[in-house]
Amino acid sequence: MTLGEILLPEGHAEVEATVRAVLRDVLGISDERVAAFDDDTPLFGALPELDSMAVAGVLTEIEDRLGITIDDDDVDGETLESFGALVRFAQDKALT
Amino acid sequence: MSVSDRAFSIEHYQWSGGREAMLRFGLTTGAVVLLAMPLFEEANRTRALIVTMLRALAEHGIGAALPDLPGTGESLVPTEAARLEDWRAAFAAAEEQVTRGGGRVHIASLRGGALVDTRANCAGRWHFAPVAGAALVRDLMRARQASAREAGEPFDPAAIAPGGPPVELAGNLLAPELIDELKGAVPTAAAPLRTVRLLTEAAAADHKIAARPLWRRAEPENNPALARELAADLAAWVKTCGG
Repeated sequence: MTLGEILLPEGHAEVEATVRAVLRDVLGISDERVAAFDDDTPLFGALPELDSMAVAGVLTEIEDRLGITIDDDDVDGETLESFGALVRFAQDKALT
Repeated sequence: MSVSDRAFSIEHYQWSGGREAMLRFGLTTGAVVLLAMPLFEEANRTRALIVTMLRALAEHGIGAALPDLPGTGESLVPTEAARLEDWRAAFAAAEEQVTRGGGRVHIASLRGGALVDTRANCAGRWHFAPVAGAALVRDLMRARQASAREAGEPFDPAAIAPGGPPVELAGNLLAPELIDELKGAVPTAAAPLRTVRLLTEAAAADHKIAARPLWRRAEPENNPALARELAADLAAWVKTCGG
């Protein structure tokens, strides 16, 4: 059994809440807007606040908050495609 | 006008490589906080917070000095000439000047400033959200990689090596030597040291504060409530360290 499985579902919910808060804090998105994000909400290319500089800020802030290191080789076009994809990416890094 | 009336002024300090500006807040004698700013873009994003914090510190009866480092702020040194060792030497020279002026120096460093305060003498250090140089470099490279990908240009971080040409990272032309120095740099750990972080940061701290990380925001913002809370914490620490 992996740590991720032991922590389920609390760990998954916690990572999702962290990713939501990072998007709010780094991009300056309102609580109401970010609370409405679901798995299918498109991010990169759809949020005007999320330019390439902001992508770096989002990833680095996720590292700081989850205490993980993200290998940039693991980041591709799909990582920030949707809120659900970014949450799954962060969960993979934090919980396995 | 007596020294104690002087709320704010600009002076200069000399270091072996030249002359840089230093802002002074409040008293120049007694306890004086010498502040090391975050590095690169993070400095712009936190400047308003820092100035508000140092003004609030003056209300606690503690003066402050905010030096420009060579290649930053108003400095005439080009950014690609900046080196970590020069920043450390310049910051130490700023400390000597504040000390000569009758100040008892306490150091406050934010983010990457904690990599710069290493050589300066002081009664104590206070770090807010200190960050390792490797993490700063990773963030710079990541931003550069993302913009290169967007523009369809090639970019290979591994090609950045000492002796090579300066590289543009997050709007600054930087020497590969500086990048190399930063990769191995960690926050100064000499006691007495108090580390304050945001509640959201995973890393350990002596005290955590609930606020958002202004240094990540593309649009510079201020947070006067955070500035006052930091100033109060710093003022208490300065008193702990003998005032």
